[in-house]
Amino acid sequence: MSDAVMEREPYLVEMKGITKDFPGVRALSNVDFGLRSGGELRGLVGKNGAGKSTLMNVLTGVYPPDAGEIVIQGKSYARITTTQSRHLGIACVHQHSQLVPPLSIAENVFCGSLPLTRLGLVDWEHVYRETDERLGRLGLQIDVRRKVEGLSVAERQIIEIAKALFADARIIILDEATAPLPKHDVDMLFSFVRRQREGGVAFVYISHYLEEIFEICDNVTVMRDGRNIGDRRVADLTQAELIRLISGVEVERFRRAARQTDSPPVLTIRDLSRPGVYEHLRLDLGKGEIVGLTGLEGCGKDALARGLFGMEEMGEGEVSLFGTPYRAANPREALNRGVAYLPRDRLGFGIIGPRSVKENITLPILSRLLNGIGLLGRKKESELVSRLIEQLDIVTPSMAQAAQFLSGGNQQKVVFAKLASVDPKVLLLDEPTQGVDVQAKIEILKIIDRLSRERGVATVVISEEIRELLDICDRILVMFRGAIVAEFHARDPGVTVERILHAVEGAL
Amino acid sequence: MKGLRARTKTTKAIPFLLNNMIWFLLVAIVLFFTLTTRNFLTTGNFINILFNASVLGVLVIGQSFTLLTGNFDLSAESTLGLCGLLGIFFITRAGPPLYGSGWMLSPVLSLVIIHAVGLAIGWVNGVLITKMKVNNFVVTLAMLITIRGLTLLVNNGQTAYSVSTAYNWLGLGKAGPIPVPVIVFLLLFILGNIIMARTPFGRELYAIGANRNAALASGVRPESRIIQVYMVSGLLAAFAGWMLSARLTNAMSSMGKGMIFEVFAAAVIGGVSLKGGQGSLIGALGGVLLLTTIGTGLNLMNVSVYWIQAIRGFIILIAMIIEAQKVRYSTPAAVGAARSGVRPSS
Amino acid sequence: MRARTRALVPILLDNLIWVLLFLTVVAFSLLAGRFLTVENLLNILVHSAVLGIMVIGQSFTLVTGNFDLSAESNIGLIAVIGAFLLTASGEPSNGSGLMLNPVLTILVMLGLGFLIGEINGLLITRMKMNNFVVTLSMMIIVRGLAFLVTQGKTVTNLPASFKLLGNGSLGPVPISVIVVLVAFLLASVLTRHTRFGRNLYAVGGNRDAALASGIDPDRRIRQAYLISGALAAFAAWIELGRLGVGATRIGEGMIFEVQAAAVIGGISLFGGRGTMIGALGGVLLLSSINSGLNLMRVSGFAIDMVRGVVILAAMLIDAQKARYKAPAGGIVRSPSGGKA
Repeated sequence: MSDAVMEREPYLVEMKGITKDFPGVRALSNVDFGLRSGGELRGLVGKNGAGKSTLMNVLTGVYPPDAGEIVIQGKSYARITTTQSRHLGIACVHQHSQLVPPLSIAENVFCGSLPLTRLGLVDWEHVYRETDERLGRLGLQIDVRRKVEGLSVAERQIIEIAKALFADARIIILDEATAPLPKHDVDMLFSFVRRQREGGVAFVYISHYLEEIFEICDNVTVMRDGRNIGDRRVADLTQAELIRLISGVEVERFRRAARQTDSPPVLTIRDLSRPGVYEHLRLDLGKGEIVGLTGLEGCGKDALARGLFGMEEMGEGEVSLFGTPYRAANPREALNRGVAYLPRDRLGFGIIGPRSVKENITLPILSRLLNGIGLLGRKKESELVSRLIEQLDIVTPSMAQAAQFLSGGNQQKVVFAKLASVDPKVLLLDEPTQGVDVQAKIEILKIIDRLSRERGVATVVISEEIRELLDICDRILVMFRGAIVAEFHARDPGVTVERILHAVEGAL
Repeated sequence: MKGLRARTKTTKAIPFLLNNMIWFLLVAIVLFFTLTTRNFLTTGNFINILFNASVLGVLVIGQSFTLLTGNFDLSAESTLGLCGLLGIFFITRAGPPLYGSGWMLSPVLSLVIIHAVGLAIGWVNGVLITKMKVNNFVVTLAMLITIRGLTLLVNNGQTAYSVSTAYNWLGLGKAGPIPVPVIVFLLLFILGNIIMARTPFGRELYAIGANRNAALASGVRPESRIIQVYMVSGLLAAFAGWMLSARLTNAMSSMGKGMIFEVFAAAVIGGVSLKGGQGSLIGALGGVLLLTTIGTGLNLMNVSVYWIQAIRGFIILIAMIIEAQKVRYSTPAAVGAARSGVRPSS
Repeated sequence: MRARTRALVPILLDNLIWVLLFLTVVAFSLLAGRFLTVENLLNILVHSAVLGIMVIGQSFTLVTGNFDLSAESNIGLIAVIGAFLLTASGEPSNGSGLMLNPVLTILVMLGLGFLIGEINGLLITRMKMNNFVVTLSMMIIVRGLAFLVTQGKTVTNLPASFKLLGNGSLGPVPISVIVVLVAFLLASVLTRHTRFGRNLYAVGGNRDAALASGIDPDRRIRQAYLISGALAAFAAWIELGRLGVGATRIGEGMIFEVQAAAVIGGISLFGGRGTMIGALGGVLLLSSINSGLNLMRVSGFAIDMVRGVVILAAMLIDAQKARYKAPAGGIVRSPSGGKA
């Protein structure tokens, strides 16, 4: 069933016929998954709920499978415990840090197994020296006495991988490890991973970022609805084909139609500067226009959005909205002026997990839903929310459902509904399709398009997925080190991803 | 598949049981006392329980507001003590046997001042926590100690006595058969519930407690709201100070000392989460009633004061254990997982 | 330039407690004549003894990210039970009449401390209850039990041998002072240089990470509570010697000072941070302020107020510390290239 074309190496680990049920749902259905030794970089992709994480959880011993076997080093197991899995050389690095921030790097590396002197006390000398040597062997130069809390997210992930390697891990699973990382930290991580691969360590790379799969993986396994749809060599696939495999249908890319470019300006920015972040920015945003904003991490694109929305300093300069000067000291003021913002950190800043979908959506406009005596009008609220749920096609058992139980894509739509309820004139969207499965991505792009057409909303889309920007934007601006360095018209046939990438990297 | 369906039926019953556990417990306790004492199930006794619950109840209302935003107000008991003392201090003549200030302010003026003091204390708490970003536990802890010290300073530790019928009315007055404190407490409770459940203010509090950053990004002003809830807590603490000192017709410098724990216990038992973003005043009322009923019932049984203390603590513990189980069973996924002995995938 | 001052600040803040202590001692020696005498300094140490032992216990749980609010009641109950066992019944001693051997009594007290600690630990780890709530309830229950045992009366006429620890001296130095200093030393070694201690910090710093590293967080937390309970017993022994009687209210209201001393000394309420020696500094600071103000004949009530303000100031600084230690989110401060 697997049409993998790989070197004739022995299997490092083989999962055969794995089935896993949870109440009401079959998460894994007769899945085969194997990794060969010799340093393979295997991508593992699929929609939310396809079973990727569950499969890896079975491998690391978190879940016992209901059927099937796991074969490691020739021995067959009906199930393995987390301890066994660790001893067998399987390690997992998640988005959420598994390091202890107040402790030093060295102590983290030796966490749980600190070496002792003859007196029974911790041998700190040994700890620091050994950590230094080991990290050096991996090609890392860093002061091991530094506290982990002082490291960047990417550095922490690298230390975590290093930690796994020290525990003689032969298989390292990276579960959405790059989601919180800025682009060039991802590069740093990748080169580190590639180097370890040379030592014969195999990596399983779970991600929604298909571009990264193509960049770093040798092979990719596609999962859908709890099944292994197939293992392929990355070199044999195009992105379109991969998407088709993931979603099972011929998914059209959504392409926004060209539009008349003469629209009255809604937002004008002249000479906007914020020391150390951006300088002399100049931008015009017209009614119903969608402008993309892209660039490397730290170029200032998301800081600009947060500044306009009042979540951060905006800086000095001339900003006008509909001709009148604009400045928001906090999000409330921005919303009152009709400027709305979709945060890139959905769980941290976008959605209020424990509260209901209804409450999430109406939070910014509560004062508009009051009845005669000054209390919240239940009917008014329900009607508004129902309408939005319908319009945006949000999948939820009811509007009273806590938002945290919705899928990533639907959560994002709830945030959109919240922004829509404000009836904004300007939308600032920061990575609107991040962490969302393929189907939902398309739906969200359509929502953005519709809002601009039907309501004349002027939209800024901030994203590092250039292909997506080309699909949805009228114009694309590139920022580099705090300045706008290039402008492209998306419908212009000469504009390609490569050209934009060039500008992004700073070369013109 | 049949097994799965059967499971979901019973698993629906469990959350319902747990969520309303406080009321089941209350019924059970009332039943117990009805059987073991005379005259428990009378209106007279019922009113008695409410009377005993009123001061605690007012404090719990204030505390619930701050708890919703994910904050504590440990200083409330000290504010109660200070304001209760000041209330009498202002209106009473100096020297023995009453030991007031001698300023002989009118009761109305005195009350206005002490409530302003309560608001001010709340404001200081709020500002220190939001603008100076000091940990709330720590700020209100320090305020608890400081304000208690201030209370001791005011009258040099001496108890002040009230002979003003106008002032004492809140503690001793009656409207027909019903004591004034009971009426006031219930009114405040109803008002508080309406505000919490049916106003933008209340909604925003829940949002702030559940995810402050997301609330901010949705146009809520968390800092303003937090300062406001601390002011509410301070105001109600001042009011409770008036209630208690009026009932006792005196104010000791140690008045209210140690109450804060019961306030917390009642709120938490009643489902107001310490983390914020969850709970309602109705539940908190249940917590207050539970604790007060137990105390009153045990009293009627002529149980020694010391046993009562211990038993109350024990009941609180049991209620908390149940509360912890509630969290385990609160979501369908969690329910399923708990049954199959495994965590659900996120 | 800003970067360099930024590097200095954490170092200053970390050792702040000693700077503060130094300043306080200097201030009081100027303001109050008899402050800087050997007699007074010894006095400060003696008064720090009980508080110090309690702070050690609390620090163990705080480091794992848990509160032990019951500690103040634990010392009370254990003290009165100890006194109760030791003395004759009826007035004026109000004891049990058992006249138990002091050594045996100590063992019973320790056992009780372990028991309460274990109950706390089990409720928090096995029943997965919130630590604030559990220890709060236990605080109420245990104090109630103390009242139950003594029926509100004070137990007196304790045997002299028993009171030695709290009352006796080795030459000019009170035994309790030696004991508390030794205790801090041992605790410091335990938390800095043993696996046990380091595991506690790991559990408090990131419980999941500790779990993934093969540490059993629940076991460590239970052990921390056991220590807290045992130290409460120890503190009870000293307090009985110091006070001379078993008062039902021993320890009442103490919990705030205990937490404050720990936090002032650098133990974070969030867990994973701080040192025992720092906590000792916190204890000494609070005791010094107490002593100094007393010598200045400031009224007892004003002292309470000042204490409150000091705690507030310390917490403010603690909050600032947390700001500086916030992780440099890779998004805004990439190590290479690109402005923030």
